[in-house]
Amino acid sequence: MTGGGKKSGVVFPVLAAALLGALALSAATGPVPISPRAAFDAIFRGTDDTAARVLLSLRLPRALLGALVGGALASSGVAFQALLRNPLADPYILGVSGGAAVGALTVALFLSADASPLLPLCAFGGAALSALAVFLLARRLRSVSPERLILMGVVVGAFLNAIIMLMVTLAPPGKIPGALYWLMGDLGLGTPRRVAVLFPYVALGTVLLYLLSRGLDLLLLGDHAAFQAGLSVERVKTATYLTASLLAGSVVAVSGLIGFVGLIVPHGARVLVGSGHRRLLPAAFLLGGAFLVLSDTLARAASPAGELPVGAVTALAGAPFFLYLLRRNGGRS
Amino acid sequence: MNPALSARGVGFGYGDRDILRGVSVDLFPGEVTILLGPNGAGKSTLIRILSGILAPREGEVRLCGRPPGEFRRREMARLLSVVGQDPPVDFPMTVAAYVGLGRFPHQGFFGGTSPEDRAEVERAMERTELTGLRDRSLSEISAGERQRAAVARAIAQGARVMLLDEPTAFLDIRHRVAFYEIVTQLKETCGIAALVASHDLSLCAEYGERIVLLSGGTVAAQGRPEEVLTPENVRTAYGVAVACDRNPATGAIRVTPLRGMPTKQ
Repeated sequence: MTGGGKKSGVVFPVLAAALLGALALSAATGPVPISPRAAFDAIFRGTDDTAARVLLSLRLPRALLGALVGGALASSGVAFQALLRNPLADPYILGVSGGAAVGALTVALFLSADASPLLPLCAFGGAALSALAVFLLARRLRSVSPERLILMGVVVGAFLNAIIMLMVTLAPPGKIPGALYWLMGDLGLGTPRRVAVLFPYVALGTVLLYLLSRGLDLLLLGDHAAFQAGLSVERVKTATYLTASLLAGSVVAVSGLIGFVGLIVPHGARVLVGSGHRRLLPAAFLLGGAFLVLSDTLARAASPAGELPVGAVTALAGAPFFLYLLRRNGGRS
Repeated sequence: MNPALSARGVGFGYGDRDILRGVSVDLFPGEVTILLGPNGAGKSTLIRILSGILAPREGEVRLCGRPPGEFRRREMARLLSVVGQDPPVDFPMTVAAYVGLGRFPHQGFFGGTSPEDRAEVERAMERTELTGLRDRSLSEISAGERQRAAVARAIAQGARVMLLDEPTAFLDIRHRVAFYEIVTQLKETCGIAALVASHDLSLCAEYGERIVLLSGGTVAAQGRPEEVLTPENVRTAYGVAVACDRNPATGAIRVTPLRGMPTKQ
């Protein structure tokens, strides 16, 4: 009913297959060759050789982390776009990721050891605060124009970047290289433990967003029309904003700053299934997962030593796409 | 008979700028009330106050005898639907999906679409002649078609009170007439109370039971079309010289602008 046509029956199986294919490709790519047979044995028969260890403790966790991160970023992007009624919104562009990075760095550099469960929560706090700051700064006469929003996102993002640099400079020397690498957006830290830390946050966030999907549909009408159609606008907006910040924040805490996934993927998913959030959210999650896993596989294939962060690949693909959307949107309004 | 929706002495403004002063309006079931007034007279503000978006600075609003603030959002939306002057939807959304959003107050927040919802949406699209456009995206159709979709969404909402803010602004004459016929049908079959803000003086006189003429934030005249639509009232409110006579075909008041530069209001 809220969708974009009759092709939906095919879309979800295809998207699920794309994600599985991306996971398989990622697991098969790397310096140690792993045959499908060896992979099958490692997973289902519990063999214990080099191939099995590489697969189970390095590649599969990394691929799964990529799927979780990509799916969460895409879901968060969908939510921010509905919240701001703007197809150009994205946690990265709005400065949300920067805020999350400051929150996460505070814990990682100055408080406790890595991957503490506290990390995603602090990143969530940072994300929520910076999203609020951007939104309030962009607000003028009770309305928010897309241009001001992006402008303020850039300003707040630059400010947060300065803080990040300051924090890294002041950090204990031993922690600096790791922090810098993490900041560039990387899945190399995909130990099974990090997947386990991230999973509950992503599960909670995506389920909450899914429950809000009817409200998100109505938000697209604008605040007044949504209110008159029976929506508790402020309540739904607050819940959406907190949930989207939780998703973006927890992802940043685990995998650093990976840009543009939250922007490109929702757009692609909308083309496939329309703007109804009941279908858009799951489609964006699957597509985002597949996109990030593929980007990471590409990054690893391009630099076998593993020096190219996945954030660089998504930005390479995403920045031109963003310009295209900006031009097209500007031409319409 | 008790009014379905009423405003008593409503005043509103931003800062020290008054927008509405002492406005009292009653909407009765089975009646179409037309809200007339020049640009900036406060018509949209009044509709926002009546729908609970803005709280009046003075006076009070009652929907079925209760202040809007007492209602749960969806309970109120089942009683009152609004076609506002809303910003366009910047996302790809089909006409059917858009009209379907009108069913929200009848659905659980987490629930799905019932067969009754589907039937109501189909009927609303049929009424507004949108069935052929059901799978088109809102961004692909014309402004007039979008306006009809907004009316269809409000009809699908199935409320007894409808507030419509210039719903015919972009419509051609056929669809203007069709709009007023639909409202008349809803009035006669469902007993709705409707408030239609409009600039279409002669059509209003054909279809409206009562007219409220708003000017400079106050009610300049209120009553039956022949009481309100007089050359004096129209000149005072709009600054335009008009002739008012009876349409020989229908007997309704007909307002014809006369040539000559409008005077300052």
